[in-house]
Amino acid sequence: MLRAANLTQERIVLVLALVLTAGFAISLPGFLTPENLLALVRSVSVLGVLGIAMALVVIGRGIDLSLVAVMAVSLAWTLNLLANGMPLGIALLLGLGFCLLSGLITGFLVAYVEIPAIFATLAMGTFIYGFGRYFLITLDVVYLPDAARSIVWIGSGAFMGIPVPVLIFAGVCLLGALFLRYVKSGRFIRAIGDNPLAARIAGIPVRPVIVMQYALSGLIGFVAGLVTATSVASMNIRVANSTFVYDVILVVVLGGIGLSGGKGGVRNVIVGTLLIGVLINGMTIMDIQYTVQNVIKSLILLAAIVADTIINPRDEQTAQQGDI
Amino acid sequence: MATILELKNGTKEYRGVPAVRDVSFTLERGEVHALLGENGAGKSTLTKMLAGVVTPTAGEILLDGQPMDLRGPSDALKKGIAMVYQETSLVPSLTVAQNLYLGDAKWFNRLRGIYIAAQQFLQSLNFPVDPTALVSGLGAGQKQMVEIARAVHHKARVIIFDEPTGTLTPEEKHHFFALVKRLRARDVSIIFISHALEEALQISDRITILRDGEHVITDRTDSFDRDRIVRAMVGRTLSDELYGKAGRHRTRPAGRKVLSVQNLSMGTMVRNNTFSVFAGQITGIFGLIGSGRTETAKVIAGILKRDFFHGGQIRLEDRPVRYRVPRPAIRDGIIYVTEDRKLEGFFETMSVAENIYVAAMAGGQSRSRLVSMSEMQRLAETWTKALNVKVINSDARVIELSGGNQQKVVVSKALVQKPKLIIFDEPTRGVDVGAIAEIHQLINRLADEGMAVMVISSYLPEILHLSDRILVSRQGRIVEEFTGGQADEETIMYAAVH
Repeated sequence: MLRAANLTQERIVLVLALVLTAGFAISLPGFLTPENLLALVRSVSVLGVLGIAMALVVIGRGIDLSLVAVMAVSLAWTLNLLANGMPLGIALLLGLGFCLLSGLITGFLVAYVEIPAIFATLAMGTFIYGFGRYFLITLDVVYLPDAARSIVWIGSGAFMGIPVPVLIFAGVCLLGALFLRYVKSGRFIRAIGDNPLAARIAGIPVRPVIVMQYALSGLIGFVAGLVTATSVASMNIRVANSTFVYDVILVVVLGGIGLSGGKGGVRNVIVGTLLIGVLINGMTIMDIQYTVQNVIKSLILLAAIVADTIINPRDEQTAQQGDI
Repeated sequence: MATILELKNGTKEYRGVPAVRDVSFTLERGEVHALLGENGAGKSTLTKMLAGVVTPTAGEILLDGQPMDLRGPSDALKKGIAMVYQETSLVPSLTVAQNLYLGDAKWFNRLRGIYIAAQQFLQSLNFPVDPTALVSGLGAGQKQMVEIARAVHHKARVIIFDEPTGTLTPEEKHHFFALVKRLRARDVSIIFISHALEEALQISDRITILRDGEHVITDRTDSFDRDRIVRAMVGRTLSDELYGKAGRHRTRPAGRKVLSVQNLSMGTMVRNNTFSVFAGQITGIFGLIGSGRTETAKVIAGILKRDFFHGGQIRLEDRPVRYRVPRPAIRDGIIYVTEDRKLEGFFETMSVAENIYVAAMAGGQSRSRLVSMSEMQRLAETWTKALNVKVINSDARVIELSGGNQQKVVVSKALVQKPKLIIFDEPTRGVDVGAIAEIHQLINRLADEGMAVMVISSYLPEILHLSDRILVSRQGRIVEEFTGGQADEETIMYAAVH
C-alpha cells in the first residue's frame, strides 16, 4: 500500500497526467508522436512561464491578477514603438521597463499601502489595460512589424529540433527553481508566505521582498509576452480581459501550490502545466468544443483538490501534531 | 460514586505512531479529575477521544456502562460530553448571547428573546458577562466563561477543560475554581488538563498522570504531593526541584547599562514607562496580562512603533534608537523571543534546519546573497545539539515537534542572530517540565556569559527563580523594582495588582 504521506496533490496530478497520456496514446492515433508531444509542450509553454511568475507570488501568500494585462500591454506597446520606427533594443527595454514599473507599483500597493493583493492586482490589471489601450496603442491588435523580424525565432524558431518556446519554458523553470532554493530572497519569499508575522520578527525585510515578488512576476510576464507575440506575429491586448489569468492560477493550484502560501515550488507548476497540456491537446485532437473543454478542465481541478483533501486530511489532528 | 464515563484500553495512533497506548481511564459522577503529564504525554489526545474529536484506533468508550460510538464532537455534546478548548471556539463577531444559543437556532431568532434568556442564564451561573457584548471584545477569562456557560447550557454532564487557566489572570483563576466547585455540586463531572501542578492539587478529587502516551498512575489527590507528581510525570526526580528555593542562589551584579527606556508611551497599553536593563544579569518583568509588558518589549524590539510625539526615548548603549520594523533592531542586537510561537515564532512548513537558517540569513551575519546548504546543515547541527532539540533528523518539520522542542527552535532562531539584549516573553508557556528546566539553564547561561537578558513572565515562581532584578509592571508602566532574593511572592503580587 502506498503510504498516505507520499501521495501529495502534486503526485496525484502527475499520475493523472500519465494516465491521461497513456489513455490518449492508446485511443488517439498520432498522439504519441514526437511532433505532437513537442507541439503539446509548446502549446502550453506560455501558460507554464506565466505559471512560474504566478507561483512566485502565490508562494509568498499573494496573487497577481494583473499578470496577463501587464504581459499584453507591455508587448503591444513594444510592437507599436517598433512600428513607429524605434530601434529594436530600445523598444524591448522600454517594454521591460513598463513591466518592471507596473510590478513595482503593484508591490508598493500591496506591501506599503497594505491593500489585499487580490484587490490591488485586480485594480492594477484593469488600470494597466485601460491606460495601455488609451495612451500607448491605437488598435486592440498590434501586428509584428517588419522591424522585429530578427526576434521572430523566439516564438517560432527551433534549436536542435526543439521549439524555442519550450526551451524558454525550461529555462524559466530552472531559474525559478534555483532562485527559490539558492537565493536568500527566494527563501525569504517562502518564509513570508508561510508566516508573515514570524518573518517580520525574524528580521526579514518583508515589504521590500513583497515588492520584489511582484516585480519579478512582471518581468517573467514580459518574457511570456515576447514568446506569444513572436509566435503568432501579433499581440491582442483583449487577452487581458479574457479568463486567461484564471487558467494560469488553475495551473498553479492544480500542481499543488496552496493559495495560503509557503507551499510548493517549480515542480508543481510543471506538473500542473503538463496535465493541462495533455488534456487540451487530447481534447483538441478529439475535436471537443472549447466550452466543453473548459468544463472538463474545471472538473479535473475539483477532482484533484478533492482527492488531496481525502488523502491528506487537514483536520485538527494534523493541525495540532505538536500538541498531541 | 458511580462511574459515568470510561475508556477501556484506548489506543490512538497518528500515522502509525501511537499518541496514546492502551490507556484505561474512568470518570466518576460529580468528581474533578485532573489529567497531568508532560507535553506529548497524550493528555489532549485522550480527552479528544472522550469528546468524540478523534476516534480511537483501538479500545472502547463506555457512557453509564453502555458502549458508545461517537461520531463527532456534536454527537458527544448531544450525549452530554462537552470540551472547552485552549483556543476558544467562539465566533468573535457574534454577541455572547448569540454564541450561547448557536447551534440550537431556530429559523428566526428574536435577539431580544435570547438576550433576556442569556442574561438570566449567565446570572444563574454567577458570571459577570454582558450578553449583548461582542465576543471579540471580551478578555480571555470572560471568553472562557462563555464557553463554560455554553457547555452547561447544553446540559453537559461531563465537561473537559484543556488547559483552562493558561490565559487567565490570578483573579480570573479564583472565579474559575469557584465555578468548578459549583459545577461539581451540580453533579457535573469534570476532566481538567493542566500544566500547573498546584492547581491540580488544589482543585481535583483524583489525579491521573500520563507519560509518553501511557498510563502511569491514578489516585486520590490527597495521596499526592508535588514531588510525587513530578516524579510520576518525568519518570525521574529533577535534580533541584524546578522552581524550588534551593535553585535560587547568588544574585549577579549589574554590568554596563545596555538599554535604558525613558517615558516610553504607545497607545493606551504603554504609558510613561521608564526602566533600564544591564548586561550580565537577568531582568525579570512580572505583571498581569494587560499590564503592557509584551507591548513594551515589542516597542523596544521594533515590532510595534511607539507614539511619534511624546513617545519617550529608548537608548541602546547610550545611543538613542527608534525602530519602525524589527530588522534594524535585530542588526543592533535586540532580539525578542515571542510568547506565541505558533502565531509568530516559526515557519511551520519548513524543517528545523530551514527555520534556523532563515533566521541566520535575516540576521545578516553573512553578506552573500546565496544560500549555502553546508552552512545550513552546520547551523542546524550546532543548535539542535547546543539546545538539545529532540528531532529524528533536521529535516523534521517544526510543526511535528512537541511544545518544548518547538520553543527550543524559536530560541535557536533568536540566538543564531547573536543578540546583545535578548527578551524572552513567557519562555516556558506550553512547555513540558523537562524542557522548562533546560530552557531555564540556558537563560542563566546566557546571563553568565554577559548577555543582557529580559524575562517576561506571569508565572511568579519562574520570575523568582530566574531574576537578578525584578521589575513589576502595572497599567503600562514599571511600578516597582526588587532585587532578586529580596522579594517574595506576596510582595510582588501586591505590587502588581495595587
